[in-house]
Amino acid sequence: MSQTSHQDIQELLGAFALDAVDDDERDLVEAHLAGCPRCRAEVATHRETAALLAHGGDRAPEGIWARITENLEEAPPAIDLAPMSSLETARHRRSRRSISLRAAAAMGAVAAAVTAFFGWRIGVQDQRLDRVAAEFHELAAKDGLRRAATAALSAPDAEQVRLASFDGRTGVHVVRLPNGTGFAVADGLAALPADRTYQLWALREDAKISLGLLGRDPDVAPFQMVGPVLGFAITDEVAGGVKETGQSPVVLGFTELGQKGQDTRPTA
Amino acid sequence: MSIDDIRNASDATLVVSIGRYHQEALAEAYRRHAGAVFALSRRLLVERALAEEVVQEVFLRLWHHPEKFDPDRGSLRSYLLAQTHGRAVDLLRSEVSRRAREQRDAAATAEGGYDLEHAVVDLAVAEEVRAALESLSPGERRAIELAYFGGHTYREVASLLDEPEGTVKSRIRTGLRRLRGALIDAGIGAP
Repeated sequence: MSQTSHQDIQELLGAFALDAVDDDERDLVEAHLAGCPRCRAEVATHRETAALLAHGGDRAPEGIWARITENLEEAPPAIDLAPMSSLETARHRRSRRSISLRAAAAMGAVAAAVTAFFGWRIGVQDQRLDRVAAEFHELAAKDGLRRAATAALSAPDAEQVRLASFDGRTGVHVVRLPNGTGFAVADGLAALPADRTYQLWALREDAKISLGLLGRDPDVAPFQMVGPVLGFAITDEVAGGVKETGQSPVVLGFTELGQKGQDTRPTA
Repeated sequence: MSIDDIRNASDATLVVSIGRYHQEALAEAYRRHAGAVFALSRRLLVERALAEEVVQEVFLRLWHHPEKFDPDRGSLRSYLLAQTHGRAVDLLRSEVSRRAREQRDAAATAEGGYDLEHAVVDLAVAEEVRAALESLSPGERRAIELAYFGGHTYREVASLLDEPEGTVKSRIRTGLRRLRGALIDAGIGAP
């Protein structure tokens, strides 16, 4: 099979998607797929169809979960294999959270915190976030993300923050859903040299928390951040990002909570 | 993310969360999909211990390499099931489990060959999927069932059915396409 045409490969795609090809054919198809989006799409479609055939499973087997968690890095959460919890409980939690948010807003510490961008300590979760930041940047190039971000921007319960440069000319939109999933639509930022990257930060009263690297020429980037945030900022850093920044933000914006803090800030 | 948020999160959001090492997100992905993953792996491997091992591997892989899942290329379920199928078939074809397979094939032959696969499929899949399967030609249906649920290569299927390899190869492809069309008509699966 030294000379394999595109058509020969196409003929194999159904069998390939069902793992029904020999090893040498599999290698051949995989090599082809790397450079052929159309065939990749066909394989994805076949797998989607096959997944519907396999739809026979009911409840998740419980014993295996315990073994999986033994191999994870931290203590396992309790898993409840029963169906969804009631809406009632969900509402309960949500209202409780918004109360604690208001309580946080009332604290004087919040007001003081937004007065300075520099010198905040970095969040503990940071090393982990940076480990996956590169992967998220790769994802950020994709259309799916832009669609997701657009949907989030139109969600009524989303937190929306416009980050602006000091001259007000560059704008970035940050949107965060109640579940903590957020997007930075940062395609307005000018491309940086190859050895630099933009880095997104959440501003909390006692720390700047890195939400990930946006790359040198950002588009739409997802992030995950729960809990109250005073604002968001983007800095220009060395490629690979930093744990703690000494840079002045390229763009900066405050959440409603952060703005409240600024309003009540004693004027110097 | 609170537990309630996780329960309501999309699969894609769960995977982003898994990327952030949130075990609760993995637990939720497990709750949603492990049943199907286990059912497929059990159907292919028969032996429970082996099937459980595959489930474990598939979810650990999701934990360690969440970036391998690309939401633009399909659903999380189809991704996990493709992983499951690939791994189960590897095991099935490996030297170690050849014996188990021979036993299983012997049992299947005793009970009427691929008709057993038919019976299993009929019991397991939703009515709409069963109806969609009916829309296939018998040749297409057998080829897909033997390949997907039997873990056979198309060459093996050809020899089992005593048909040319090229015919089986293209039946699998056209059958999958026809099946997809029928499923879309039945309102299952996105066009």
